Amino acid sequence: MSLGNAAALRHPVWQWAMGAIVGGVLVYASYDKILDPQGFARVVYRYRLAGPTAATGFVPPNALAAILPWAELLTGLLLILNLWRREAALIAGGMMAMFIAAVGYAMAMGIDMDGCGCFTLDAGGRSAGWSLIAADAGLLLLALGAALPPARPAPAASPSPPGRQASPAAP
Amino acid sequence: MLPSLRLSRIAVVLFVSCALGLGWNAASARGVPLFANAFLQQGEEEIPAPEARARHGRGALFLDARPHAFWEMTRIPGSLPLPEDDFEPFFQRFEPRLRGTFDIVVYCSGFGCEASHLVARRLRDRGIQAAVLEEGLPAWTDAGYPIEEGPPR
Repeated sequence: MSLGNAAALRHPVWQWAMGAIVGGVLVYASYDKILDPQGFARVVYRYRLAGPTAATGFVPPNALAAILPWAELLTGLLLILNLWRREAALIAGGMMAMFIAAVGYAMAMGIDMDGCGCFTLDAGGRSAGWSLIAADAGLLLLALGAALPPARPAPAASPSPPGRQASPAAP
Repeated sequence: MLPSLRLSRIAVVLFVSCALGLGWNAASARGVPLFANAFLQQGEEEIPAPEARARHGRGALFLDARPHAFWEMTRIPGSLPLPEDDFEPFFQRFEPRLRGTFDIVVYCSGFGCEASHLVARRLRDRGIQAAVLEEGLPAWTDAGYPIEEGPPR
């Protein structure tokens, strides 16, 4: 199988590698947020996508802040350990798509994000901008690559049909 | 037989994430109360619009933590501008009055607005106590309380 062949990306080793990269990023990103759910909730508020609003109150963004870091951790570990790889990669891809949408929304609304909350909750963390969108898009592609079904194995050589076996010459 | 995608595995991962996340949040010292404002920290006071209105009637000083241009467009009557994004010059200008006032309420633009909490915190760091108007200016206007519009005279 040559590297020029697109099917090469569906080799188990390549797919594990793509998933492990995404998984490592997710595990690293989850650490600070798990340690400080309230701090992460304040970051979620600033994006203004999940709330809080007068209609929905504080539960949606607070619940998201509590649950998302654990989803990152669990998904990341599954990808690194190559367990349930396709499913975990799809979840990771969904997360990346959500992050891209959130950052794009913040930029479109002119929200001054002093720290995206990606890897740290400190105000001096990575800012929400085009470079962040590009990075998340790259991780999305890796996640989709890891989610592809593995390449089908080459079919085995077909056996000789019955009755055609070589027989000793008749006397 | 090639392994196919199993949606049940996705459901399991999401369910376990929810359980772990909500459980850890409940047990953690830094967990966020699900029904409360995460901007509100210990020791801070947040008051609803009716309470703020009552205090306004008793002569409380209201501070607008939004950018100055917003205060010029519309504001709670008698409020002073103390924008979070330009705090120091305005604080120095109004400091004597702030230190002489014991009932101060800070507001900003409502849900998801952290500016009023940040301003109240910075005032507290300087020894000045201030409450925060819950849900900000929208709560005040939704309750039908008076506002001022246009550049101040």
